[in-house]
Formats: sequence, C-alpha cells, structure tokens
Amino acid sequence: MADEPKPEGAEPVAKPPAAAAKPPAAHAPPKPPPTMATTPWESDLTKLLKDRFGDQILEFASYLGQNFLVSKPEAAIPILEFLKLEADFDYLVDITAADYPKRPERFDLFYILYSFGRNERIRIKTAVADGAKPATATTVHATANWLEREVFDMFGIQFEGHPDMRRILLPDEWEGFPLRKEYGLIQQDDRWVRENLNIESGQ
Amino acid sequence: MPEATFLDSTELVLNMGPQHPSTHGVLRVILKLDGEKVMGTECIIGYLHRGVEKIAENRTYVMFNPYVDRMDYVAAVSNGLGYCLAIEKLLNVEAPPRAQAARVILTELNRIASHLLWLGTHALDIGAITPVFYCFREREEVLKIFENYCGARLTTHAFRIGGLVYELYDGFEQECRAFCDMFLPKVDEYEELLTNNRIWVSRLKGIGILSAEECKDYGVTGPVLRAAGVKWDLRKAMPYSGYEQYDFDIPTAQNGDTYDRYTVRMEEMRQSVRIIRQAVDKIPSGPIMGKVGKVVKPPTGEAYVSIEAPKGELGYFVVSDNSTQPYRVRVRPPSFINLQALDRMVRGGLVADVVAIIGTLDIVLGEVDR
Amino acid sequence: MGKFLRTVFLVDLLQGLWVTFRNQHPKYIYTEQYPAERPRVAERYRGAPRLNINPDNGETLCISCNLCALACPENLIVVTSERNEVTRKKDLTTFTYDTSRCMFCGLCEDACPVDALELTQDFELASYTRDGAIWDRQMLEEGPRPTQYRS
Repeated sequence: MADEPKPEGAEPVAKPPAAAAKPPAAHAPPKPPPTMATTPWESDLTKLLKDRFGDQILEFASYLGQNFLVSKPEAAIPILEFLKLEADFDYLVDITAADYPKRPERFDLFYILYSFGRNERIRIKTAVADGAKPATATTVHATANWLEREVFDMFGIQFEGHPDMRRILLPDEWEGFPLRKEYGLIQQDDRWVRENLNIESGQ
Repeated sequence: MPEATFLDSTELVLNMGPQHPSTHGVLRVILKLDGEKVMGTECIIGYLHRGVEKIAENRTYVMFNPYVDRMDYVAAVSNGLGYCLAIEKLLNVEAPPRAQAARVILTELNRIASHLLWLGTHALDIGAITPVFYCFREREEVLKIFENYCGARLTTHAFRIGGLVYELYDGFEQECRAFCDMFLPKVDEYEELLTNNRIWVSRLKGIGILSAEECKDYGVTGPVLRAAGVKWDLRKAMPYSGYEQYDFDIPTAQNGDTYDRYTVRMEEMRQSVRIIRQAVDKIPSGPIMGKVGKVVKPPTGEAYVSIEAPKGELGYFVVSDNSTQPYRVRVRPPSFINLQALDRMVRGGLVADVVAIIGTLDIVLGEVDR
Repeated sequence: MGKFLRTVFLVDLLQGLWVTFRNQHPKYIYTEQYPAERPRVAERYRGAPRLNINPDNGETLCISCNLCALACPENLIVVTSERNEVTRKKDLTTFTYDTSRCMFCGLCEDACPVDALELTQDFELASYTRDGAIWDRQMLEEGPRPTQYRS
C-alpha cells in the first residue's frame, strides 16, 4: 500500500505549514488531496464499449481490482441498456451518489452493475451538476425506482422520466437534502418538526 | 392489474400502519383493496431513518464500526463483516487466517440466528405460535456464544478493521460443536411442526410468486432469488474471508413462492451448521489482527465490497479521500431492495397473503431505513 | 389411499401437536426467573463502566491521558485533570461519563492503556431522571447500586 505511486507525492496531513519546500506559491494554502491511483483497464468489454460509444466514455480505469468507467451523463442510460442487452449485465446492484461541492459538476453518480453469466461487477461513474436532470434507469432495470428516489431524497438529484419522483425516507414536505456537504450533522427541518410534531426540534 | 369484480365498488384504502405486529418493524403499507383482494400497495418507509450514512462522514473509520451493527440489528455480525472487509479492501490488507476462520464461524452462527428469528416471527404472523418459543430458545444459545466472545448479544461490534480484537475464548470450539450437535435435531423438529402441516402448506404454497427474471429485474438477492431457481450465492461466486476452503451446498427451489423460501432458509441453516463444523475443526493458529496502523487512513479511492448477509447482498461502497474520516459510505441494503418487489408479489392476493409475503421477504426496518 | 387416511385423521396436525406436547416436560423449561435469580453474564460482557482503583493504595489507576475520550464515537467522556507539581504527573480531578448516550461499544475500554476504564458486568443502570444517567467519578468508581429485589 505504501509503495503505490501517488500523483502528488506527499501526505497532505501532518505537514508543518511553514515548511513549504515545493515551488508552488505559498498563498495557495491547502494542497488538493491526491487523486485516486487508478490503473487503466483493457478488455473485450472495453473494446465493445469504445466501439459503440466512442468519446462519450471518458475513461476506463480499475482501482484495487474493481473496474469502472467514467462517462458523460447523457450516455449513462444508453450504456446501461447496452450492457444489459449485449453484455449480460442484467442486475443493477446499486445507484448512489457522492457530493463534491467545490466542483462545478458537484455530484458523482454511480451505477454498479453485476453480470450473473460473467460473474463480473462494473461501475459507471458520471458527473452531474446541481439542477441537472439525468435520465432515469427505471426503463432498463425495475430496481432503479426506489434507488433513484433515495438519491433524490438525500442529494436532490431529480431523474427525468421517473414514474414517482418523491422522497422516500424523509417525509414528503421536508426541505433540504441531508447528504449534501453543507447540510449539518444534527440539522433538521425545524419548520416541519414544529408543524408536525409540535415540539421545538433540537438535540 | 386484476379487474375489480364487484359492481359499484369503490376501492377501499386500508392503512397497515407503522405500528403493526406483523410488519417486522415500522413499515407502513397502504393497501388498495377490492373486498379482500389487493389491487395495489404502496410502501411508506423512513420511520426508522437515522442518517447512518451522514453519521459516517463525521466519524473516523474505527469509530463508525459500532454504528453499522445497528442497521440490520437482527444479524449484526454480518454488517460488521461487510464494513471491515470494505475498509480492508481500501487499505489493501487482509485479515490473518485465524481471524478469517473466526469471522466465518461467527458469521455463520449469525446467519442461523437471523434465520431462526425469521422463522419464529414468520410462523407467528401466519398464526403458528409454538415455533417462536423454540426458535428463540435456540437463538439464546447462539447469543450466549456471542456474549461469551465479544460481550454483547445483539450489537456485537465483534470485528475490527484488520481482524479481530478479542481472542477466541477457551471453550469456544467446544461450545460451537455442542451447539451444532444440539441444533441439527431441532431443525428437524421445526420441520416436523411446519413442513407437512396442511395449514402451513395452504397458507404458503403458491403465494407471492416471484420468478427468476423478475428477481433479477428488481435486484432481489438472497434466499428469495435462490427460491426462484437461481443458484447464486456470493459466498461461492465471489468468496471472501476464506469461504472457498469450506464445502457447502447452495439450496435452491423451483417455484419461487413463499413455501420455497421457507425450505430454502431451513436448508441454509443446515448448511451453515456444516460450515461451522468444518471451520471449527481447523481453526489455524496465529495472530488475529492484520497490519493496520493505529490510525486508519486509506488512500484516496473508492471500493465496493459486498457479502452474502442472511437477507441478501449487503454491499458497502466507501469513498475515501485520504483522511481519517470516510468521504462517503453507502450501504446497499438488501431489505430495502427486496421490499421493492412487495408490490409485484401481492397483486391479486388477499390481505392475509400480504402479511405472509412481508414475512417471507425477511426485512428488517433498521436496514431498510438506515 | 394412504394419503386420504392421513388427511382425514389429521396425521400432520397430530405430528405437530405431539412435538408441542413433548416439549411440555418440565426439563425443557427455559425461562429464567428474573429478578429472583439473577442471570449470569459473560466475563467479557460490556455493561456498566467502572473506573478501577489500585487495590494497594486506594488511588485511581487513571492517568488522565484522555485516550478514552478521543476514542469514543459519541464524545461523551470528559476528563479533567491538574498537573501535580510534586510527582510531575497528571492527577485526575473529574471524570464524566454519559451513559444515556453510550452505546457500550467498548472502544473506550480498548483504548485505555492502563486498564483503568473497564466495562463491567452490571446491566442494571436505570435511573429516574435523565441527569441520573450522567455519571461522575464517584459513581464510576463505586458502580451502580440497584435496589435489591425483595421477594
């Protein structure tokens, strides 16, 4: 683990702020965290996908033995369809997202697929901006219904064409999207709590 | 959707509310009925939502370990195993063989405990009151072993990142063997009570059929998928923690109805006993903790690791950003995804079948809501 | 024919009933009569926390290193100490432990380097007030004293 080549080269933590031996100017304070040390991924599946989708797939990579591809958001559903029909990836394991608020395309949307025939797992990663509406995967896999509702509930990413786009875990009238980074840990929708539970919320 | 057969019928909307003895937790099901036949359902969940994934972003990796037990609180050891395996994958370490063998034994005991609770509560929902007592009596024995090992019965926090922290206590192997010897005849006893019982058969056969294609489409895994005929188990397909050394079968069934899920789970309990016996006979000696530093700081990256929990495929997708706290922990809950198929399974059935089908899906609301 | 007889004479139901009746024998009684007989818990049971005292000189074993407070996922341990000029070591003054939020995970017990903080086998921790669940140093050293059951 320690000998994995890190692009940036140094630990971002435990560096005394004064000891800046690197050329970049000292007024750019925190160094960006090192990026994922991926290795490129090549196989017949990637050739098939590259032939079919060309430059809509930005990267084929593999990290710790787990293959994933990064694609443009509009290509995600066609890729899911293609993988289901042509490559036997008939089981959608999960749809989830991660929030990187500092990027313009702040959400990373992940689709994890599995193929029973090949016994292989693959991840599709797309970057989605706040307010963008990626297409729904319910036309391809029925399991995406609740999974996309949960992504909407937690992050606020609306899916175009979803039959029932409303909150699933939180009450329907809740305001705020908890898993976004600016949402506090013990923050609650005080208005909803006051109206519905008749108490002042607080910990 | 089946047609309403009654003239001048308005649909009756019945609320099977969050407080209900048969919904296995706080699950609210709104049933649209035509007489006694169910036309459609809608599940409302979220009554037990505690924001576990948000908590994970504010705790260190080691500190988050006790929280994962509380999701599927019936089978807490599996949750811990999945989480520890995910973080170990990110750190690129592997637990030593002794730790792996102990993990397998505890996880299989945990599977037996979870299936016993399933059987007891499912039978109780159907109306058979006796199996609950017997199942919980056997479950006591398993929980005693857990208590002797890690100090807690339900929220065990048994595993740590990198291995185990508690050494196996003296008498662990004897107690496991004694449990296995005591338990196998008890499974036969449960079968004597239920399997050929005409009430059981008529309540369960042909109810809630979910074919293999529908299972794959809905992403349903675990015993529900195996009862539909798909011989797939993550312990065999993508073995983890040393499962490839043990010899066991994957029980499957043909029809995909509720009765088949019952037979599949009973047989799984027997196979678990088989695994435990093999594992206990050859626990290797050696260290129980791998090479993990005091501070767990995986390099930037993402990993998805899943295990075969008693309820299905439990997956952990962890995104780390080279700090001591995870950036994002996503738990892929099998009960949440299995519960989606409820609507498909109850169409055209009766209200009593709804209860049977919720029971047979084996959901735990702690995991559905997280 | 056999099947017909088995159906008419309720053979399967009687089989199940026989199992139930067999289990009525007193030797199968599994209920523990708590609180008359207190259950024995395991040695490693994670129950009530306790601050251990050195048996020889009656002083606390705690060295105020604060590792337990740092390890706690809920941040419910507060340790204060003052520096003793004579021995150049830290003396423990107060130690507050909030059992109402504690999840008895055992991370504090694992973190303590001198085995001063230990989760014992006491499980009777109820109190009448919410503040009664916040234990100070004295309560931690003595342990909870539940009222004895008089039968």
